[in-house]
Amino acid sequence: MLETFLLTTFLMSDTVAPDRVQNLDEVVIVSAEGRGRRRSVKGQSASIDEHLGELRKVNLVRRGSYAWEPVVNNMQTERLSTTIDGMKIFYACTDKMDPVTSYVESGNLQSISLNSGLDGNPQATGNIGGSLDLKLRKVGFDSDPRHFNVSAGHEWNGHLQVYGADAALSGSRAYLNTGLFYRDADNYRTGGGEILSYSQFSKVNVFANAGLRLSDKDILESTLIFDRATDVGYPALNMDVSKAQGFITSVSYKHQFGSAGWETKAYYNHIIHIMDDTTRPDVEIHMDMPGDSWTTGLYSLLTTSLGGETGAQHDVAVNYDLYYNRLFADMTMYPGGAAPMYMVTWPDVGTLNTGMAVTDNVSIDDFQSLRLSGKVAWQQQRLNNEEGYRGQKVFFPLMTDSYFQTTGRIAASYQLSFSKSEFSIGTGWGSRAPTVTEAYGYYLNNTFDQYDYMGNPHLKNESAFELNSSAQYQDERFSVGIDANVFLFRDYIIGRLDDRLSAMTVGAEGVKVYRNLDNATIANISLDAGWQLTDRIVWSGRVSYSLGRDDEDGPLPLISPVSWRTELEYGYRSLQARVEVKGNGDQTDYAARYGETRTPAWTIVNLSASYQLRNYSIRAGVENLLDKRYSSYSDWNNIPQKGRNIYLNITFEL
Amino acid sequence: MDLKQSIMNIGKYLKFGAVALFGAVLSSCNSNDDLGKQEIEIPGITIDGDIDCCSAEEALQVYKFLQTVKIIPELSTEIDNKYNVYAYSKTGKLHGGYNDIYFVATKKKNGNYIKNYEIPALKPIMLMVKMNMKHSTPVSAGVESFNKNYLAVKRGWVSFVMNTSDAGSWTLSYDYSVLGSEGTTAEQEIIVDALPDGQQWLKSFKVGSDTYYLSLVNPLDWSTGKNTITAFVSKKNTPATTPYGLAGEQFVIEIDPRMPDMGNHTSPDNVGLSRQSDGSYQGTVNLTMTGRWRIHLTLKDAQGNIVAGGDDLSDGYSSLFWEVTI
Repeated sequence: MLETFLLTTFLMSDTVAPDRVQNLDEVVIVSAEGRGRRRSVKGQSASIDEHLGELRKVNLVRRGSYAWEPVVNNMQTERLSTTIDGMKIFYACTDKMDPVTSYVESGNLQSISLNSGLDGNPQATGNIGGSLDLKLRKVGFDSDPRHFNVSAGHEWNGHLQVYGADAALSGSRAYLNTGLFYRDADNYRTGGGEILSYSQFSKVNVFANAGLRLSDKDILESTLIFDRATDVGYPALNMDVSKAQGFITSVSYKHQFGSAGWETKAYYNHIIHIMDDTTRPDVEIHMDMPGDSWTTGLYSLLTTSLGGETGAQHDVAVNYDLYYNRLFADMTMYPGGAAPMYMVTWPDVGTLNTGMAVTDNVSIDDFQSLRLSGKVAWQQQRLNNEEGYRGQKVFFPLMTDSYFQTTGRIAASYQLSFSKSEFSIGTGWGSRAPTVTEAYGYYLNNTFDQYDYMGNPHLKNESAFELNSSAQYQDERFSVGIDANVFLFRDYIIGRLDDRLSAMTVGAEGVKVYRNLDNATIANISLDAGWQLTDRIVWSGRVSYSLGRDDEDGPLPLISPVSWRTELEYGYRSLQARVEVKGNGDQTDYAARYGETRTPAWTIVNLSASYQLRNYSIRAGVENLLDKRYSSYSDWNNIPQKGRNIYLNITFEL
Repeated sequence: MDLKQSIMNIGKYLKFGAVALFGAVLSSCNSNDDLGKQEIEIPGITIDGDIDCCSAEEALQVYKFLQTVKIIPELSTEIDNKYNVYAYSKTGKLHGGYNDIYFVATKKKNGNYIKNYEIPALKPIMLMVKMNMKHSTPVSAGVESFNKNYLAVKRGWVSFVMNTSDAGSWTLSYDYSVLGSEGTTAEQEIIVDALPDGQQWLKSFKVGSDTYYLSLVNPLDWSTGKNTITAFVSKKNTPATTPYGLAGEQFVIEIDPRMPDMGNHTSPDNVGLSRQSDGSYQGTVNLTMTGRWRIHLTLKDAQGNIVAGGDDLSDGYSSLFWEVTI
């Protein structure tokens, strides 16, 4: 999938050489050093989720004001790959309260890159919808010797406080980035002024990235991130989180020979996630639901350029990766007075996965380029917890405690570029193995549709065939573009009611078991346009439409209705000001069969301004200026969004 | 968790190592053994070739099994100054509902286990103090060997319809026949503990004037997942002091396991209990989690008529149920 022209201009200046090979579809710049245009108007104080929201193909499922779940091309976590600098990391909450993006802080990152669809980054597996890679902030060698950055932010609605301090030291032989970040929020007010209970959170994050030049051509790099969120409210769910903790670490070795680079990284991460319902009133049965996720792995990436001069130039990347992940979650319920009830909800599933990926960016001539990518991965899964295995075997008597899967993807795209226009067409095929929840999850209550979900160990791999195309025109004053893709699924995995089974969770409607649908379709189209009205004023607008269909031609859940966004931006010297109006159309095509309810249309107005004064940058704005009470289709259980919110962020750089 | 698991794994390896080492020591012993056969030593037992008694290997198996159970001192007895009979249960105690009771007989002279002996009848009696009434309770028809590795251990069962309390107390005696010595033990008072809350393993029902008892066998052996459920159906005798044997009639016991604390959550694919050749009833119960389960019962006779339970009270479930907390 090819990037748009607008993005390309800043991509060239912003990304380092290896990224060029990955042909990033979209990038959002997170760090202050990045000079890209696409970043949150809140600047550095924005949360990762707010940065992600800037990516065109990304929507966010919101269960509270913290830890939003990224959705790419209208596909959720199970159809995406999320990596941190190529490292695999898996969430630890059976209720998806902790997408892995919640275990880093925007101050840890340089940028977030998104590859749309089946053309993933080399480390990505199972990325039907797309792959996100969170690029860690690394100052590199021979940069500014010292750079300090302090930022403070406040949002009046919910009394959100953001404080961060980080430092970057750089020399010819070593560099270090390190920082400390803190966020804390109370319950926020919805439009109209109602306080939304259980929407608070608190988070601390510390990180260090260091590099050491061993010789001219050898570099050692290391990463350490510790991230802990506490007292996180989830107004859309029945439970909150008392602790969500991530520990992420890696060591890598880079060697440069000629035009080739070789990086080998070993990593380990551990996530602990502890749900908590003790602060909720009227809890019928108190429950403890901890989850743990351990991942250790390595990858080895070789990048090189071949050909060129007269013939076609090939930028080639070959990647081998291997990881082992363990997921364990259990649940203890305490009915008043009676004996506790215990079940294993993720039966300590060990997944050993290894894969080989190749990408080749071919610059055929000045006008044409071709990108090819492919990956094959093998995985072995074992259920290490006997009790969990025995429990699930009741439902699937023929199941075994060990499974083997092979998945793969292959994608090709062709791009034709002229001075003012650009066209691309691409295709791909890929498959993914069922997730641990889909294959082995045990009575996982889904508050979206009020069903308990049972994993199904007999699921087949899901696969999809993708077609995509884009066209872009741009001159000095106008730009207009269209981008479309369609995913034709085989064996699409989704939960379907099994009325033989009895719900476990009190109040649940019944039990759904994950099944393969013969086919399903997801299609997305978006149009965007820009117009330079005067030297200082730019107008831009965008409208997107998406469609999801199951095997019986009914709507799939969590597919965006028509969404649109238009903005006027004024820029003069160090001042930038922006008026943004955005909204969604009425969700007429909602998936009642999958428990979805209709979300009405909404429109909001946001104002923002930023001003650079010597070492200070000041950002202020008003979100939801008209204090509209609304929720978007991706707000879990239609929890209302923030009402009017005034924010002020100040960053001091030295 | 991670660390704990690793330590446990290390522990396993150590155990494996110890066994391997032990094996190596044994075999090296044997290979150097030119003095004759080494003898297995079992505390308190002299292997003297007595043909009534176990061989060294058999005795070792019995001895090992007995390490897993506890003696019930009240039920142990001495016969003709020659033999001892010892009784055991899992905990050394007895409780309401079904209890396995294990017996061995030994010779006093060598302490070794006697291979052939019989305990044809277990005779529990409850004396209801206030009403001055006596009755018995469901029992097995004598005792039998149950594991070919230690045939000298015989198993029987008693299912107590009530526990020891101010209302009454239990005595138990049994008939024996050990190498020609026959008799009945004295009526020894035994304590039958009440089951804790959440455990109801014995239920009764009436068909006409006949009273039947449903004894659920060892439900604490169950765990999450698929379990074999075993029960006995016994019939009250007249006079009531005669121990209650298995009912001659054949029933089908349909089960509906529910969790009352979880909105009567149930599990799929349970199989009702049907009568086996040994007189027990067996089926399959699936448990989705630990906690308190009620196994609601519907009893049908051979013609398929409901004779007990299946009455679906206000909560929609049979009033006849076993309750098990695992």
